[in-house]
Amino acid sequence: MSRLRYFAHRTAITVALIFLVASSLFVFFRLMPGDYSSLLVQQGMNADQIARLEAKWGLNAPLHEQYVRYITNLLTADAGQSFRHNAPVWDLVRPRIINSAILVFPAITATYIIGSLVGTVIGRYRGGLFEKSSIITVSVFHSIPDFFLGILLIAAFSQTINIFPTSGMLSTETAVMIGGEPFWHRFFLKEFWMHYALPFATITLYFMQYPALIMRNSVVEVSNQEFLHYHRLKGLPRPALLRKLMRHASLPVVTLYPISLASSISGLVLIEIVFNWPGIGRLLVDSVLARDFPVIQFVFLVAAVWVILGNFLVDLLYGVIDPRVSVGNDNNE
Amino acid sequence: MNIVRKVQESASGDLSILAKKTLQNLLRERITKLAFACLILILFTGAIGPLVAPYDYNEQQLTADGQLDRYSPPSADHLLGTNDRGEDVLSRLLVGARATLITGLLAGSLMLVLGLSIGVTAGYIGGQTESVLMRFVDFMYGIPFIPFAIVLITFFGAGFYTTIAIIGLVLWRFIARVIRSQVLQIKQRPYIMAAKASGASTPWIIRKHILPNIANMAALFFAMGVGLAILEQAGLSFIGVTDPFTPTWGIMIRNAHQSGRVADAWWWSFPPGIMISLTVLSLYLLGRGYEGTSGDDEVVV
Repeated sequence: MSRLRYFAHRTAITVALIFLVASSLFVFFRLMPGDYSSLLVQQGMNADQIARLEAKWGLNAPLHEQYVRYITNLLTADAGQSFRHNAPVWDLVRPRIINSAILVFPAITATYIIGSLVGTVIGRYRGGLFEKSSIITVSVFHSIPDFFLGILLIAAFSQTINIFPTSGMLSTETAVMIGGEPFWHRFFLKEFWMHYALPFATITLYFMQYPALIMRNSVVEVSNQEFLHYHRLKGLPRPALLRKLMRHASLPVVTLYPISLASSISGLVLIEIVFNWPGIGRLLVDSVLARDFPVIQFVFLVAAVWVILGNFLVDLLYGVIDPRVSVGNDNNE
Repeated sequence: MNIVRKVQESASGDLSILAKKTLQNLLRERITKLAFACLILILFTGAIGPLVAPYDYNEQQLTADGQLDRYSPPSADHLLGTNDRGEDVLSRLLVGARATLITGLLAGSLMLVLGLSIGVTAGYIGGQTESVLMRFVDFMYGIPFIPFAIVLITFFGAGFYTTIAIIGLVLWRFIARVIRSQVLQIKQRPYIMAAKASGASTPWIIRKHILPNIANMAALFFAMGVGLAILEQAGLSFIGVTDPFTPTWGIMIRNAHQSGRVADAWWWSFPPGIMISLTVLSLYLLGRGYEGTSGDDEVVV
């Protein structure tokens, strides 16, 4: 019962946070200098278009009515019209979200799988040169700014030895050729994976440090616990023993996984710029340069929801894994 | 064991002794010693960099026959070569050191002050104050930093101090969270109960018992905060939303990347990238060294 209450509480907080961010964005973008409709004129819209937009968004209505309309429009995935492309913001952003997601989810997942294995190995061979050098190696990769790591990989693998393309997701010709196909069509092209390799490697190398070091600490801690000695004395074969060890040691890493997913959005913006990857991060920067406010506003909301949902997932995982969290108190202490 | 040591330290209450002990513990490991030396060297570069720069960082260098000296590789005249506009890379690197380090130190201090005040207040006062403050911290965690900074800078304009303010005003959140949980533990210790029972005021207890106990941790967070600030500032410079006239290391990397000649003009983009990485790595290794000596938990930023 109390676990249910805990989940309900976290869900309520999450919904409230998203609502709060959306509302803050409304206030923020209405407070900014200049009248919204005069901005539209600047963007070269004619009086008829403006009148239609004003009616739809209620731009002449009092602020509180505008606010209600803004929220209801958002709930139906209507985020307005892009100034720059003269297309609905949602149509512009949706493919970008997919592009970002296909880059970041597999990359972070791979980071965590490889990182945990590396961490296990480091944890098993303690106290030697191997341990020290591996810890320093993963730390070095996390100290290099992610965008500079990307630049280094480009310099090495596409400018010096010409294996991978420097930027983009597909070459222009291919993009035109498969223009009519559904988006997953590109996953069957070798060219897509060649473009995918370097940004994927950048994310993996950069984020490797967290899972590796935390898994190492956890492995060291669990190795000293009595149940493992018992299993060893019982004569459990080594692979089975290792499996037991890893299952117990992986708890902290599992809860860290959604945190990394959530926080990766900031790094993603930089990596998308380095590799010219058409995701939401690059869309944001392009829109900022073009002062395309409806798009900026919505992309920021998407980024915030991304982070908030990630944190929500952490709370849920804590609730499932650690019974103490949901039993005692509601504050997730 | 650890607790006993901390109690003794707090009983002596002398911050300078505490600092000396921590430093001694830190410097026992060879790798932290190296990181510490490296850091001192970098700070020194930041202090004297602009004074020893061989050329004016904005001066366009000319070759003997009066041509603009673009993309020239390292030579005796230009130890790190020149860039696309014929400027001396070493001079820009030295001048950029100061701007980059000042950003890190100021933003790091801002983070520490905010995180410490909110963390200590929430942890020590408790109750309704704590819930409100921690909900606020939750809200701050909902902010995706780079997108947020980009949007803010679009409105308020790029500037050297704007960048520092935005970094400091957002990224204190991790400090507040960990300091609060630390204070929650310290609050339960007998000597604090004793102080309370004998009628000590809250500010006095915080000053005499709480702050000395978290001083080590605060120093660690300051180091991590400075590293984080330098990384974020470099990222924002790379996107192109910081003051373009201050030659920070991040801007140098941005210019090199935009010229598309990272690989063949390696002397232009590699030095600033390596400097950022070295600074952050040294701060990071110091942090790990601290964790090793104190037995505290892993901190995730």
